[in-house]
Amino acid sequence: MINRVEELKEAALSAAAAAGDEAALEDVRVAYLGRKGRLTEVLSNLGGVPAAERPAIGQAGNRAKQEIGAAIAERAGFLSDSRLEALAETEAIDITFPAPPLRRGHAHVLSQVRRQLEVIFERIGYSVEEGPEIETDWYNFEALNLPKGHASRDVQDSFFLDPGEETVLRTHTSNVQIRGMERIGQPPIYIVAPGRVYRRENLDATHLAGFMQLEGLAVDQGLTVGDLKGTLLYLVQSLFGPQRQVRMRPHHFGYTEPSFEFDTICGRCLGKGCRSCGQEGWLETGGCGMVHPQVLRNGGIDPERYTGYAWGFGIERIAMLEYDVEDLRLFYENDLRFNRQF
Amino acid sequence: MRISYEWLGEYVDTAGLSPAEAAELLTMSGTKIESLSVVDLSEIVVGRVLEQREHPRSNKPLWIHQVDVGGGQTRQIVAGAANAVAGTLVPVALPGTRVPSGTLVRDGKIAGERAQGMLCSADELLQAEERVPRIMLLDRGEPGESLATYFPVEAILEAEITPNRPDCLGHLGVARELAAAAGRELKVDFMPTFTGGIEPPGTDLVQVTIEEPDLCSRYIGAPITGVKVGPSPEWLQRRLRAAGVRPINNVVDVSAYVMLEYGQPLHVFDLARVAGSEIRVRRAREGERLACLDGQQRSLTDRMLVIADRDRPLALAGLIGGEDSGVTGATVDVLLEAATFDGVSVRATSRALALRTEASSRFEKGLAPELALAGARRAATLVAELAGGRVHRDWADEYPRPQQPVRVRVDPLQVDALLGVHVPLEESQAILRRLGFHLRTLDDGAWDVLPPVFRLDVTIPEDIVEEVGRIHGIERIPATLPGRRRPNWIPAGGEHLPSRLREVLLGAGFDETVSSALVSRRLLERLGLAEGARSVINPMSDELDTMRTSLLPSLLLAGVLNQNRSGIRADLFELGRVYRGTLADGRAEEPTRLAALSRVGGDLEAGRAGFLRLKSVADRLAEDLAAGPVEYRRASAGLFHPGRTASIHLGGREVGIVGELHPATLQVFDLDGRAVALDLDADLLLAAAGARRARELPRFPAVDRDLAVVVSDAISAAELLATIGPAGGPLLESMTAFDEYRSEQLGRRVRSIAFALTFRSLERTLTDSEVDSLMASIRSRLESEHRARPR
Ligand SMILES: [Zn+2]
Repeated sequence: MINRVEELKEAALSAAAAAGDEAALEDVRVAYLGRKGRLTEVLSNLGGVPAAERPAIGQAGNRAKQEIGAAIAERAGFLSDSRLEALAETEAIDITFPAPPLRRGHAHVLSQVRRQLEVIFERIGYSVEEGPEIETDWYNFEALNLPKGHASRDVQDSFFLDPGEETVLRTHTSNVQIRGMERIGQPPIYIVAPGRVYRRENLDATHLAGFMQLEGLAVDQGLTVGDLKGTLLYLVQSLFGPQRQVRMRPHHFGYTEPSFEFDTICGRCLGKGCRSCGQEGWLETGGCGMVHPQVLRNGGIDPERYTGYAWGFGIERIAMLEYDVEDLRLFYENDLRFNRQF
Repeated sequence: MRISYEWLGEYVDTAGLSPAEAAELLTMSGTKIESLSVVDLSEIVVGRVLEQREHPRSNKPLWIHQVDVGGGQTRQIVAGAANAVAGTLVPVALPGTRVPSGTLVRDGKIAGERAQGMLCSADELLQAEERVPRIMLLDRGEPGESLATYFPVEAILEAEITPNRPDCLGHLGVARELAAAAGRELKVDFMPTFTGGIEPPGTDLVQVTIEEPDLCSRYIGAPITGVKVGPSPEWLQRRLRAAGVRPINNVVDVSAYVMLEYGQPLHVFDLARVAGSEIRVRRAREGERLACLDGQQRSLTDRMLVIADRDRPLALAGLIGGEDSGVTGATVDVLLEAATFDGVSVRATSRALALRTEASSRFEKGLAPELALAGARRAATLVAELAGGRVHRDWADEYPRPQQPVRVRVDPLQVDALLGVHVPLEESQAILRRLGFHLRTLDDGAWDVLPPVFRLDVTIPEDIVEEVGRIHGIERIPATLPGRRRPNWIPAGGEHLPSRLREVLLGAGFDETVSSALVSRRLLERLGLAEGARSVINPMSDELDTMRTSLLPSLLLAGVLNQNRSGIRADLFELGRVYRGTLADGRAEEPTRLAALSRVGGDLEAGRAGFLRLKSVADRLAEDLAAGPVEYRRASAGLFHPGRTASIHLGGREVGIVGELHPATLQVFDLDGRAVALDLDADLLLAAAGARRARELPRFPAVDRDLAVVVSDAISAAELLATIGPAGGPLLESMTAFDEYRSEQLGRRVRSIAFALTFRSLERTLTDSEVDSLMASIRSRLESEHRARPR
């Protein structure tokens, strides 16, 4: 009987060693050690064996089970290692096979840039203010020192909604200056107002009848031209990187005093002059200045106690500088071959 | 404004200062130089035309010239203008030369004839702006001589002058800016002296009356008798050409010269043509006409100011003179006009007549009356000098609205406080003096500043600060941020709800569009969307004449564009304003809307699937905003399909619409297939946003059951769910319909609907028998209330 156990053990050990894969090994385990396995069967049928021999056979049987179990475990470890080692071949896929496009839409480049600008200013404490696009003469012009009939209105040829020219499509986001001061009332006031504006321009690559601006307004105690400059520098470097400088040139707007235009140093030549900046070294970016005391007064702010600065620029202009877009019309056409580039 | 650098040198020492350096100084102090061009005519030679004949075969009018170009050489040159007749002296660019306007001249053939060079126009030599093709004729020179002998190398600066600085529309003003920016002295005083004047007094020769003192604050009329009209001297012609003006004769040239020097427009009348020896500054009478110097007849209205004699208008005030009263070769006595006209009035007339002149572009900015006196004195002196006229003493000077001197009190501390940089007191004072300001320090340390008479734009202390700052150098102001002065700095912003809306649509695969807010009223009318629409009264075109009342036409137009250009059947959305109605102050309601459009296939099921897709977008929008459950009610609306449209309700409030578009809508845009659209009031949607709070996760398992019933088409899914809910009781955690199915076996006008139900208790694990009995009561309630039978 003991010989029979030994025989089975030897057979099991050689079968385990010969198992080519994990499934074959499992078959070996079932065949010898399973509930109906051969060794199990032998050890459970000890009825014909004298009682005195039974303990010895039981011990031999347990030893055999342990040995077989250990051999199977060892073989299993080996087989699993070699299977994992072979994965590169056995389960390889063609990783160059093109993926289907993710079905997600593209945000329009102007709303991306607009949001980017809002976040840049929100970080330094500005909040977003909205204003009407169909506006009264007072908020768009008169309150900003742009009196009727005056030549200073010429640069902003307007769309009117009534023959009396009292209602106008706002020509700039500066209408939000007075509205913002009125709504907030007490300085400190730090707001940005992005939105659509309208001018009677003939459509071409650099002019549109409707486009977007971003206005900024700060009113507080002791604000200076230096603060305005620092704010614009912060803006430009946030957008285009720390090597980009800003310069302010004296200019004229009715609603700021002093007034400036501001330029961004050309990213291609860093000021030396190249083709993309027309040899200027600088790219015109927007207008700005210290809020005119009469405008503060029109907004209900005491100019003896507070000063302010304001700026405005075209959002499309920023998008053009940021992404090398050369034709403004592309922004409003919604040709998806363009929109999906962003 | 075209500035001659040579001319500037008359008023400011430019030694050691290159034109490029001067341009940089001017730009950075506020006079933006947009271009700098150097005109060098040393390569151009004088030629004498020996013979001119018409080109025998050309379709275009061309003339063939034999030109003596010196050194015994004759060249054949073809030109498109006829004025270079035999005997004239002309500028010739020989092959290989590049003319200043940029053309490279080649030896070649024109219309089959040898062409060995080019006869130049004043345009091509950057000497003047010509409207008609015309060869520039020279009044002296020998064939072969370089033109640089007569036209020295010139630098031209094209300056952008802001509307507050009409004083810089003259060389003297720009020179003053350059002097201040370069720290140099101006060589001349603003107000010229004028001595002399012969008998009889000018006021005996011409009577001036201003009938509209509000529109003409000053009128100087200086009679000058015995002038000899002829060509101007070379230096004056050269400067006029450099500034882009074609010389005419000495008298007219002087008025142009002084305008380009001081910025004060002048006019000269032939005194013999002034009827009654009187000048009346009055409004035109309705129906009066004027033959103007540009050859145009113009009808006048009583809103226009004219200079008239006893009988008729002679000139449009501040715009243009009349042909009849202008200076001609036969003129002997002239009346020199230097006046100050109201800017608003000149601008209005200029716009009404669509006529803008050198004079009107200056007057419309508002000129100082004192400038008229400077201009009159300077011009009188020059006419006397160059045309031999005699200026009479006591010329007419009507001055009903004398210029009031402006004084500005400035606290010098304000300079540093506003600029954010320290400018030493002496420097500030030196800057102001160089710019022509007078300044006195008061006992309390404040400055009493008197701006120069030609600077009407300076009225408040901030103006004075600007003057100091721009000359001191804006680039010298250090950049700072205001945050440093604030005790705490709370970044604004936080959660940006519109971005959340945008994210839902993007995630659902919709591309965002941004379209023009101006659309065509015709289109809105066709779509029945024109009610309350606001149109502009002066559109650029009828394609863009009305503010949109809905985003859907914009999306449909974008859909069409993409279909036509690239065949993309796009899913699109826009988040933007629409404009409707008229408020008391003339403005409009401007709600922000969120609209989406999806093109789907042509069959019924595709339309239904598209509809459900947009419903899932609306559901997700509400979910992301924590705005509570969305309710859909059958609705009908313009543009939409009558049987496949629902209004969308949040918290009992209608916030928008979702549905298939009406076939007629698609037809307007020539779109095939079906399309579904969503149109939401984004303001209401955002207003419904609630707070999101975390819920505890359930600790006991749920039991899922499906239920299918066959029910009449007249009963909606919502009605069935409204029965299932109460019947399931508090243990019914969630329910939804997931399948709809029709077949002939089921019968006509009925369908099978399958529901997925989830039961759960928060306190224990539910038993099957508990759920079975709930299911049974749900079935029986469906049967009794809706005659829904189990399937
Ligand atoms: Zn560059």
